[in-house]
Amino acid sequence: MLHLLQLEWKKFNSHTAFRLFILFYLLLLPSTLLVGLRFDELPPPLYSNDVFFMFPTVWEYLGYIGNWLCFFFFGFLSIIIVTNEYSYKTLRQNIITGMSRKSFFLGKLYFILAISLAATLYYALCGFLIGYLNTEAIYWHKVMQNADYIPRYFLMCMGYMSFGLFLGFMIRRTGLALFVYLTYVMFLELILRWGVHMQIIAHRSMHFYPMNAVEDLVSVPFLEMADEFISKYGFSIYLQPGEAAITVLVYSSLFLYLAYRRVAYSDL
Amino acid sequence: MRVLHIDNLSKHYGRIKAVERLSLEVEAGMAYGILGPNGSGKTTTLGMVLGITRPASGSFEWFEGRYGAGHRRHLGALLETPNFYPYLNAEKNLSLVAHIKGAPTHNLDELLELVNLRHRKTSRFSTYSLGMKQRLAIAAAMIGDPEVLILDEPTNGLDPQGIAEVRETIRRIAGTGKTIIMASHILDEVEKVCSHVGIIKNGQLLASGTVGAIISDDYLVELGAEDLSTLHKALLSHPGIKKAPIEEGLIIAHFDEKRSTAEINAWAFQQGITLSHLRPIRKSLEAEFLEITSN
Repeated sequence: MLHLLQLEWKKFNSHTAFRLFILFYLLLLPSTLLVGLRFDELPPPLYSNDVFFMFPTVWEYLGYIGNWLCFFFFGFLSIIIVTNEYSYKTLRQNIITGMSRKSFFLGKLYFILAISLAATLYYALCGFLIGYLNTEAIYWHKVMQNADYIPRYFLMCMGYMSFGLFLGFMIRRTGLALFVYLTYVMFLELILRWGVHMQIIAHRSMHFYPMNAVEDLVSVPFLEMADEFISKYGFSIYLQPGEAAITVLVYSSLFLYLAYRRVAYSDL
Repeated sequence: MRVLHIDNLSKHYGRIKAVERLSLEVEAGMAYGILGPNGSGKTTTLGMVLGITRPASGSFEWFEGRYGAGHRRHLGALLETPNFYPYLNAEKNLSLVAHIKGAPTHNLDELLELVNLRHRKTSRFSTYSLGMKQRLAIAAAMIGDPEVLILDEPTNGLDPQGIAEVRETIRRIAGTGKTIIMASHILDEVEKVCSHVGIIKNGQLLASGTVGAIISDDYLVELGAEDLSTLHKALLSHPGIKKAPIEEGLIIAHFDEKRSTAEINAWAFQQGITLSHLRPIRKSLEAEFLEITSN
């Protein structure tokens, strides 16, 4: 495992897009939240910008920012670490050189696991620091009240990245794979859920789509809109965290399995 | 030891049969040339034995199964184009290859020296000329001191100087006793580098054996005269002639060894024949194929 991770690191540590994406993530995650300092007064039910920085709500707001950043940067990253290998024909070369197809796939899998883990640790670090500096009276149970956001955040990263890996292995071409990724997450799934599923059957099963489940793991923190939604449709606008986690695990396993089949059984 | 054994290997792309029931064997120490025109199935065959193309049927075995699934680590291969990470320099690219092979990295400088790239080892691969890329690929194939070197059209797209350099490098490597499997569509190249040759056309192996047995080394001369039939008759009684077919109003004389045009002209003059056309020709691969398939 370490051998494969070292290999991926050697391949990409001086890749420009890789460095930029990581840098953007590291800079934007805390700094976007700090934009909240500019809002002195907020509409109800927030009232004060303190909620952005205090335990336990800091987990929610920082997580929501991370949700967007992971969707963009790590989703893209997971695609290009695969499609680059096709466009440079280095996947072929890696196999010829002596790798098995399985270990090539495992290298990618370990790499996205490692990136997700690092991204989550950084999220946890930022959350603790910002919360610690902005909460007047720190009670441990307050700090930990929303700490389940940390494993959920990890799963969210893996969710985006396993979908990206899947598209990379299936489509093989960088531009097209990025286009499909963006289009699917931002438009196609919304159309499927709201335009198709809801018209046929207005049931909460409309939430069990892969990227919606990933989003719901670390969801939009403004919950009052959700209450309105419940009174109108009779079910919540979000999946429960547990449901979302299981849904993401199922879909991610499926995506990874299909990606593995593709690399293991096709001509390269 | 039998390095490679291919048994009835086939690959189809839709209705196109790229490789059809191909069988061949390569023994240790051979320099085996796979000769065939473009699109004859050379790269597809090598792709299959290197694990990147899935065979439709048939099987192959490396090193009599000695290394199991890890056999590719004992091979060095250059298939079609040199494939490296363009944003990494030569040194980093080679160390990646060594990492995959589990080979030591201390001799990378020597390998770069061997292919004359040491002075450019810190330049990104994307800044290399085609010839340099090809030479780097040969260096990469040599990492881990493989028992077998597989080269697919190693001089493709190179300028004359590049071709000479690459051929010289391959000959040097062949001289060290390594087994070499080389695919090429250039007869001359196979003749110069290889000890054994297999001729492949439309995915089928037409002939296989030592270079001397397969590729005739006849010296060909095109001859013409006013009275072609007299010339033909006289030629057939020439002691050095093997055969002399008539093609498009000219006689293609196959001599057993090289003869100067002056010598041939003088001979014709002695026979009372005035030559209207006299030109030594190089046998084309097509002609070689026609000959092999007609036998």
